[in-house]
Amino acid sequence: MKKTGMLKKSLTLAAALILVFSVCSVHADGKPEKVTVIYGGSSWLGHYPAWVGIEKGLFKKHGLGVLFQNFYASSGRMGSLVAGDLDVAATGSISAIALMASGSKAFQAFGTPDSYATVEGIIAKENIKSIKDLKGKRIAAPFASSAHVLVLDVLEQNGLDPEKDLTLLNLKVNEMPAAMGSGEIDACAAWTPHFNKLLNMPGNHLLVNDTEFSLFKKYKLGPGPDLLVVRKEFAEKYPNTCQAFVKGYFEAVDMLIDEPEECAKVLVKLTSLDMEDQMAVLKDITWIKGDEQKALMVQPGDFVTGMQQLADFLVKHQQIDEAPKVKAWIAEKMVP
Amino acid sequence: MKIDSTAKSLTISIVSLLIFVTAWELVCRLGFIEPLFMPAPSKILFRAIKMIDNGQLIAHTLASTRRVMVGFMISSLVAIPFGIFLGSSRFFMAVFDPLISLLRPLPSMSWIPLSLLWLGITETQKYSIVFMGSFAPSLLYIIEATKSIDPLLIRAAKNLGASKLDVMREVILPGSLPQIIAGLKVMLGIAWTCIISAELVAAREGLGFMIMNGKEYFQTDTVLLGMVMISITVMIIDVVFRKFERRLLPWTR
Repeated sequence: MKKTGMLKKSLTLAAALILVFSVCSVHADGKPEKVTVIYGGSSWLGHYPAWVGIEKGLFKKHGLGVLFQNFYASSGRMGSLVAGDLDVAATGSISAIALMASGSKAFQAFGTPDSYATVEGIIAKENIKSIKDLKGKRIAAPFASSAHVLVLDVLEQNGLDPEKDLTLLNLKVNEMPAAMGSGEIDACAAWTPHFNKLLNMPGNHLLVNDTEFSLFKKYKLGPGPDLLVVRKEFAEKYPNTCQAFVKGYFEAVDMLIDEPEECAKVLVKLTSLDMEDQMAVLKDITWIKGDEQKALMVQPGDFVTGMQQLADFLVKHQQIDEAPKVKAWIAEKMVP
Repeated sequence: MKIDSTAKSLTISIVSLLIFVTAWELVCRLGFIEPLFMPAPSKILFRAIKMIDNGQLIAHTLASTRRVMVGFMISSLVAIPFGIFLGSSRFFMAVFDPLISLLRPLPSMSWIPLSLLWLGITETQKYSIVFMGSFAPSLLYIIEATKSIDPLLIRAAKNLGASKLDVMREVILPGSLPQIIAGLKVMLGIAWTCIISAELVAAREGLGFMIMNGKEYFQTDTVLLGMVMISITVMIIDVVFRKFERRLLPWTR
């Protein structure tokens, strides 16, 4: 009896040691602790690298399986991230700043994949030649989005009050083509791929794009730059998995720069654009490589400074109550 | 005696509400719940004060009340005569029953795409969502209320020489009215549940819009304030409705 008890204890101890050793070795050799990552995305260009990484097997190369979950809006994606349903996501920075302003510490930012200024803008009927012509007109924008911020900013630049001088409606981008087609709205602010569809409609033309945004003129920062975010608990628990994700992700960014046509072939499945439009969108994006991230996110951190300006802008326009200190949400260890 | 028991019930209700709100405040203040998921009642109150101060809360409440009342009124105006008609005619009930059965389970949100195509992004589209969300259930309430009239009373009236119109005016209508009004009170609450769907598209004011916009900015206090305002508005309308009911149906007091 006593011998059996001793044997049991020894076996348990040995098993525990093996377990501890194996866990340590997994950490030591950098293998992902968790092999599945749930990513929150949509058909927006900010998610192209994640999609390309999945389709081209770049995450698999690093021992990861990435599950792409589609969300229509950044707010839903961010809500799911902090609720623990997603591990990693890319998001429009308006949602990220709003979530920071709410005081949530459940997520961190670790990169920005792209810079774009010509695939989002205000599209208007041909008779509207300038922003000033919007006076008395009906204009739609999805509220709490980068397009909404762009509208508020350009109206302010042109001395128009969105409450008094025109009717600003809250409309989803996918509902805009029908509303423009039926003449219920005179202009709308949208982003790709709907932006391209709206531009292709007869009688529509581009009024302004993100290059007219005041922070773009000063800092080359659009109204809703894309941000890569991770659930804080996930990042702390699975550092190797996060590193593997970052590697696969920025390899996909490299591929988007080097082989856009190859990438477009897989991206059309995500965006439902035809090859020609898809290539046109890709040409308008400046991808930010992994080795450029430190300078933007950490030192000197120009992107973070720009985000802070954006937070102040949102306070000024009464979209959020207080501007968060954006720097406090940067996961410096994860920035490549 | 009656006053005593009413006062007692009211005291119990107020005390239980106070205990609930205090416990909620304490749980939040002690950090058991993250404010993003459930803000403290004091935070909701501060948001309310701020939004009353800038006039937004009143504007949102009035916009939603207008949409709900217009949609509900139109729905009632159509449902009451049509429901009484169907409730007193087996033939027409059989004709319309399949259609009503098809409409009944449809949530108000399912009407958004069609209403947008038919009516565009107008106020009428918002009224139509409330109308469609409350019409079929109202109709069923009224049909049932009409059917519940004792057939013996109808036969007796007919035997005494009452015409069809007399039976309708003197027997069916007064007999079913208390139940119809009770049903409409329930339906008014249901009409308010349609407000989120109604204000989901192309709205810039209203409590539904306020809730959805608050959600976009992770302002949970705004979301909860919108919900509380819907409840308070429904309670106020309910009180008004009861007064109207007492005037309309003095025999039910």
